[in-house]
Amino acid sequence: MPQPDTENDAESAGRFVVIVVRSGGLAGLSKQWRAEPDPDGLPRWQQLVESCPWDDAPAASRGADRYQWRIEVHHGDTAVHQARLDDGQVEGPWRTLVDEVRQAAPSRPVRR
Amino acid sequence: MTPGIVPPFLLDRLASTDDPRMARAAEAARKTLAVPRPTRPTRSRLRLSIEGDTLVAETGPAPDRIISDAANTENLPGRRVRSEDDGPSGDTAVDEAYDGLGETYDFFWDAFARDGIDAAGGSLLATVHFGDDYDNAFWNGERMVFGDGDGEVFVGFTRSLSVIAHELGHGVTEASGGLEYQGQSGALNESLSDVFGALAEQHHRSQSADEASWLIGAGIFAAAVQGEALRSMKAPGTAYDDDVLGKDPQPGHMRDYVETTDDNGGVHINSGIPNKAFYLAATALGGFAWERAGLIWYRTITAGTLSPTADFSAFATATLSAAASEYGEKSEEVAAVRAAWAGVGVEEDAPA
Repeated sequence: MPQPDTENDAESAGRFVVIVVRSGGLAGLSKQWRAEPDPDGLPRWQQLVESCPWDDAPAASRGADRYQWRIEVHHGDTAVHQARLDDGQVEGPWRTLVDEVRQAAPSRPVRR
Repeated sequence: MTPGIVPPFLLDRLASTDDPRMARAAEAARKTLAVPRPTRPTRSRLRLSIEGDTLVAETGPAPDRIISDAANTENLPGRRVRSEDDGPSGDTAVDEAYDGLGETYDFFWDAFARDGIDAAGGSLLATVHFGDDYDNAFWNGERMVFGDGDGEVFVGFTRSLSVIAHELGHGVTEASGGLEYQGQSGALNESLSDVFGALAEQHHRSQSADEASWLIGAGIFAAAVQGEALRSMKAPGTAYDDDVLGKDPQPGHMRDYVETTDDNGGVHINSGIPNKAFYLAATALGGFAWERAGLIWYRTITAGTLSPTADFSAFATATLSAAASEYGEKSEEVAAVRAAWAGVGVEEDAPA
């Protein structure tokens, strides 16, 4: 099971952490969610992560005030994946990953 | 003019260029503008008012509003639930959106003689009840979309005329040539929508610049939230200070500009700087803010000369040009605009 958010995060070597930050929107408020799977859940989380098309940068959406999503995967101190998506681009495997992270950890406001 | 795929401002700009490398394109644009376009039915109305002892009858264009209901899904456009001339639906969000679009349309027509988002009487499309507990409202390039809020932080985005006009304002900016939604040009795009949002509300309430609240989104926070609105144009950074949301992060001066990669480079944060500049210009000039400061800002984005990647300094220069064209180089309007941009650290003060 994913573990609750702690402040002692990616410093610990070998930890697998997925961070989702939602920013923008009309209000410009940011929220962050973070999942840190335990060893039993790691294969499933790795599969969720690797099913996302990290290298295919989606075209920017039209419009304004859409949410912007930043999705990061850290292994220990190393950021192994990062993507920025507009709200309308969070679909398919991205939507699955984001929903899993949001369910795994309560949100917290981001300190700017 | 009935809109074609190439917007009229672009054709006008091409047609008037004297760049010899663009001679063929300029000629083509002039021919295109000269071709009669098929007429499209537009809505018009008779408005009556009393000025002194005189009854004034005025004909003019009318909005064409179409409100749809996403039924708490994220599928657009949703089911059409209220169109122009339909009576109230009984659904609060539907009717608030319908009324708010009408009030925003009236503002743009009365202040700038602009006939809707495309300036050609196109339909004003909106969807309400978007998503589940959805804490946002946005412009998707075609329509305005409003969530209901989660009830704990936000209680509905159609409650605020400034929010409805903010979203419609994004459509006006886009139809006028656009400002790229990133960094400083994105913050200008956001600020213009706040300007139109505030002015639409002031126009609806017949408020002068010194009577207005200059708040954006008043009334959409739940009672428990410690804040009065999303943003304050008068005092950026003071709209809320809440245990959960934190403190309003907007700067009101270039020395406090926020560098960030989130939020498309802080477009909703650094918009506080041009917002404050507009407030300073409007209150220096006094009276109804849409009559002079608003007109200068409107002329700036509709002249067809503003780069979509303009930064704050380029936009400030463009507002000074617009003010000089409208009122003259030595006018109090030019002086007020220059002092406003100096007041937020974008331009230097005029030499004594």
